[in-house]
Amino acid sequence: MWVPVLRNRAALAVLALALSIACGSAQQSQGPAGARPPAEASPNDIDGPTMFASVCGYCHQDGGRAQGKGPKLAGTKRSDEFIIDRIRNGKPGSMPAFGGTFSEGQIVAILAYIRSLEDNGE
Amino acid sequence: MALRAKYLTGCAGLALATMMSAPASAVDPSRLLTADQNANDWLTNHGSYKSYHYSPADQINAGNVKNLEVAWTHFPERATRGIQSTPLAADGVLYYSGSYSRVYALDGATGKLLWSYVPELDEELVSKQTHSPYNRGLALANGNVYVGTVDGRLIAIDMKTGKPVWDTRLVDSKKLTVGFTGAPLAVKDTVIIGSQGGEWPWRGPIFGVDGKTGQKKWEFFTVAGTDEARATWGGDSWRTGGGGGWMAGAYDPETNTVWWGTANPAPLYDWAGADWQKSGPRPGTNLYTTSVIGLDPDNGKLKFYHQELPHDAWDFDSAVGEFLSIDRGGQKLMVHPNKGGFIFVYDRANGKVQNVWQLTKNINFVKGIDPKTGELIGRRDLSLGKADTPLCPAIAGGVSWNSGAYSPRTQLYYKISQEWCMDITVIRTTPILEPMAQLNIGADFKLVAPPDGPARGRLDARDPVTGQKKWEINYKEPPLASILATGGNLLFVPDSEGVVHAYNAETGQELWSHNNGMGHNAGIISYMAGGKQYVAVPAGWGSLVSDEFAALWGEPFKSMAKNTGALFVFALKQ
Repeated sequence: MWVPVLRNRAALAVLALALSIACGSAQQSQGPAGARPPAEASPNDIDGPTMFASVCGYCHQDGGRAQGKGPKLAGTKRSDEFIIDRIRNGKPGSMPAFGGTFSEGQIVAILAYIRSLEDNGE
Repeated sequence: MALRAKYLTGCAGLALATMMSAPASAVDPSRLLTADQNANDWLTNHGSYKSYHYSPADQINAGNVKNLEVAWTHFPERATRGIQSTPLAADGVLYYSGSYSRVYALDGATGKLLWSYVPELDEELVSKQTHSPYNRGLALANGNVYVGTVDGRLIAIDMKTGKPVWDTRLVDSKKLTVGFTGAPLAVKDTVIIGSQGGEWPWRGPIFGVDGKTGQKKWEFFTVAGTDEARATWGGDSWRTGGGGGWMAGAYDPETNTVWWGTANPAPLYDWAGADWQKSGPRPGTNLYTTSVIGLDPDNGKLKFYHQELPHDAWDFDSAVGEFLSIDRGGQKLMVHPNKGGFIFVYDRANGKVQNVWQLTKNINFVKGIDPKTGELIGRRDLSLGKADTPLCPAIAGGVSWNSGAYSPRTQLYYKISQEWCMDITVIRTTPILEPMAQLNIGADFKLVAPPDGPARGRLDARDPVTGQKKWEINYKEPPLASILATGGNLLFVPDSEGVVHAYNAETGQELWSHNNGMGHNAGIISYMAGGKQYVAVPAGWGSLVSDEFAALWGEPFKSMAKNTGALFVFALKQ
């Protein structure tokens, strides 16, 4: 998938919303069809901070503001393409691949969250 | 690749070693019953059913340990996240596993490779896993070596030939992401293995499998495994409760009971705060997570349980697989460490709490635990938002999965404590309603130093029942490997920087050390081959706990490789 360079937070949020609607929610769609209605699906599917705290914060500490098991993400100089590729495909032995878990919209929402982090210089 | 040290390169040494090294032979399950008295072998993940991590062997002792040197080494392939397994030894052959569940059989005296087994794994699945691709150990019985895989299988390998005997899929890992990293436990004709779980939203089963045929005999869900347990999960939260039993437990032959520790519920952190009985993502006590359970090995039926932390809201599971059978004053006791830093002492007959003592100094998730009942006193249930003071211990625990050791000779229990805390902000996450391939944490956090000083590790020598301390050794960083006590009055501690220490088990005086050049994250054992005692320890760094070290302590951990490892085997100079 082509991914534009996204530095502007407002643009990121809009794109995340658009992608989320277009791609649907991987998180809520993996259960058995018709098993139960997805609860709170729409607002949280593109909630980067919430998804980060559910999954990513286990390794990227203080919500990505500090180094932990994984690197600090606040102020990262990595490109959008790199970050999206890393979320999608992981790094063997270090980071799982989330491409089959998150929708493209969710991945972009996480990218937006990472870009929103203030670098406190720690 | 195997390298023999100089004293075995001579013809005489080679001939002697070859002559005296017995070929691999079948391990009958009955041999496991007396493994604690067997100086020649190391037959279970914890050394024996008593979980002492103790060898009666005494050729290497406090008087001559200064002459210990590397006898041979072995380098496994693809040591992603180092090596985390505890080797086994039987009849002069050493068996160990590496990442991706690769298994090696080596001549215990020379290191000569007898066979290796490389299971074909679902690599796409492995790439999605967080707690992967390491393997923490094997089981021996019925002429087979048993190993679990991260893609949900239990495999039997012929001890002599290295050929697979059977290969049974137990978990639909493609759907659930988790599989097996812990060692199996062989009990009579059954092989028992617990799945991963915890922060992974499923029901964390433990399996009993026929050791000869590979047929599944039973399955026990650590989340809502009984009607009574299901009632302790509000709504449908039991469907995605986490749990699991990711380290091998122990067996008490007198009562025919398997003791197993279970993992934490999901999500790890709960925004309900003190209202956890009624609200939040998993209202209720959440049985049988963070519990010690007694199972009948023949049918998987629950005999008893004790939930060490009802509604665990801190990720301090009971999955540490260490269960020490201690007989004291006519009482038959079972000693078990909880990740929160407390040591529980149970009656082996029924799982009733007999004592609880505090190992880790920096604890504030509770004010204490009643030593008579095991009831939590003054629990600290975190509310939504940032906690005003750090939570102690940190998520990595007051103890980790690596086992301590008990010496019947000194009657001391040697155990590593981890002293660290963490800043935490609890976040309300999206409810996860079906088992799926996704972590479920529920907080942002950062490891920090405890209130009383720097983050650090400590080795305590204590009475296992009362907790009375005899001596301690402090480490800049917590050692993350299992340790070893021996009949030679020695205690071996492989540390995180790469040094193996040998101490006088009575006094704690350091008698010998050797730098293996990379951190230890596995288990150390002793065995005999050709009438000679060896000490074997895998080195190789990289795990979800050790990955925290670079941020806390910098070098050498910032630069320490996490994709290499080696098995080092030591013996006395000739």
